[in-house]
Amino acid sequence: MAQLFALPEYGMTGSDSKWVRLVLITIALAFLFVMLVAPMAAVFIEAFSKGMAVYWRNITDPATLSAMRLTLAAAAISAPLNGLFGLAAAWAVTRFDFPGRSLLVTLIDLPFAVSPVIAGLVFVAAFGSQTVVGSWLAGHGLRIIFATPGIVLATLFVTFPFVARELIPLMQEQGTDDEQAAITLGASGWLVFWRVTMPRIRLALVYGLILANARAIGEFGAVSVVSGHVRGVTNTLPLHVEILYNEYNFTGAFAVASLLAIFALATIAAKNILEWRLRRARTEGEAS
Amino acid sequence: MNIGLEHVSRRFGGFTALDDVNLEIRQGELLALLGPSGSGKTTLLRIIAGLDAPDEASGTRIRMDGEEIDWHKPRPHQVGFVFQHYALFRTMTVIENIAFGLRVKPRAERPNEAAIRARVNELLALIQLESVAGRYPSQLSGGQRQRVALARALAIEPRILLLDEPFGALDAKVRQDLRRWLRNLHDKIPVTSVLVTHDQEEALEVADRIVIMRAGRIEQAGTPEEVFHHPKSAFVMDFLGNVNLFHARLEGETPGDAKTQVRARPHDLEVSRVEGAGPAVRAKVTRIQTAGAVVRVEVATEEGEAVLIEVPHDRFNLADVAVGEVVFVRVKDARVFLEDYTI
Repeated sequence: MAQLFALPEYGMTGSDSKWVRLVLITIALAFLFVMLVAPMAAVFIEAFSKGMAVYWRNITDPATLSAMRLTLAAAAISAPLNGLFGLAAAWAVTRFDFPGRSLLVTLIDLPFAVSPVIAGLVFVAAFGSQTVVGSWLAGHGLRIIFATPGIVLATLFVTFPFVARELIPLMQEQGTDDEQAAITLGASGWLVFWRVTMPRIRLALVYGLILANARAIGEFGAVSVVSGHVRGVTNTLPLHVEILYNEYNFTGAFAVASLLAIFALATIAAKNILEWRLRRARTEGEAS
Repeated sequence: MNIGLEHVSRRFGGFTALDDVNLEIRQGELLALLGPSGSGKTTLLRIIAGLDAPDEASGTRIRMDGEEIDWHKPRPHQVGFVFQHYALFRTMTVIENIAFGLRVKPRAERPNEAAIRARVNELLALIQLESVAGRYPSQLSGGQRQRVALARALAIEPRILLLDEPFGALDAKVRQDLRRWLRNLHDKIPVTSVLVTHDQEEALEVADRIVIMRAGRIEQAGTPEEVFHHPKSAFVMDFLGNVNLFHARLEGETPGDAKTQVRARPHDLEVSRVEGAGPAVRAKVTRIQTAGAVVRVEVATEEGEAVLIEVPHDRFNLADVAVGEVVFVRVKDARVFLEDYTI
């Protein structure tokens, strides 16, 4: 990239381009520091401001542990469902031609376009205790809203585009020749999927899952509406941060926030490793 | 395997890809389906492979070795299919690609590991690629990839081999080598084969029989000699090589002054500085190209029509013509088709 902007043909003299480069890099780095590095560091500084013992007490507090369990559970339940839905949608969109195909492609993006608060309200409107479905379910001892199922549903709603978004362009580009070749060689649909399709989309699938997972762990708006904020019962980590903060327990809020920050950093690391492998796999794919 | 197609049609929305095609493919022959893009040749191939189905019609039938088949089902282990863009499994090595068809067989029919390895080695020797057996498709050249694709298709001992523009994505030189190699391979292993191509040279060089298609119909079928020397229509003649068009008027048997076109191949024309006996056309030499197997002389007639003549080097030296000279073009052989076509 760098040489794109430093090409001498564009009339920049050596010293000019050096100055331009210096200024641009300074602006970019300064922005990065002010907006990302400093706040991230502040989270950890605040979290540890009263010492290691307090930090440890904060993150091993029963309410925090319960919130962490719920957050991880919601993410763990939504990940496989996201994978399944993403695969099914990508397969349908790239392998079949059916009425409503382009509508499906558009609808997949809906959770990205709509505000998470609305996503939460949608489920309250559908499954709340004052609705027909909600009261019928409540009569059978099943609560959706202000309970774990509602949190899982809201998480699913906001995360389901990630896997499909990753897979659709890849599968479109790869075409169906390989699968047809496998079929003419006598492979059953099951074998074609596992031996031919899956190895080619594996990395993209995992990449989509990582992104979905990051969003699942961090989701605030949609979950906030359906959760009811019952401490130790329907609280997720981001909601717990808000509660602690509103109670002026800043050290506690930052300690929990630091957990989320660690999740985020781990996600970025995993994403970068995969991106690197994905790029390598794609350049190999292009050559074939 | 013998294949009979009767009244096969296929429409995609408003486009007719195949229009009532009847074709007999004979045991052991190498048949070329030749035609411009959109003529239906690939659709026909995919229907034979079971990758596509003909439109439902009462008379439509597909027979394999005389037996009528259900065209909705893929025909595993009968059909070997070679794709234009190879369609090799990029996550598998050359060996794994070739062995794929054997490994996915139902357990009862699957050969044991030693037999699979023996068969793969045999095929690697056949395609002369033992040295790259452990590589991935991305590490091979285009010609090597297509040979691997062919070995993969042959591994299951198909009763028919279908090749969809197999050399279409390759360089001219590699293409020539490979098609000669394919012809030799077919002489060695005479599995019934159907080759789809839009390259008339390839069809003429490789095939036992050529089926020329146009707009979903079969225009002519015959040996390369038959279709080249006795084209049934102007379309076939034009498609199989360079053609010079002369505008003429029909006299005699047809009533009136029917305007028509006379077609002559460049090698059926002769160029000379003297008028000589028989009818000849006066023309001016515009270009001479001697670099090649034959000399190509381009002339312009007095009506302004451009004419291409191909003569052997020794004849050209005798004729002794130069650019700018007025010469006489004599037609040794030509054809008139009463029903002309429009593209």
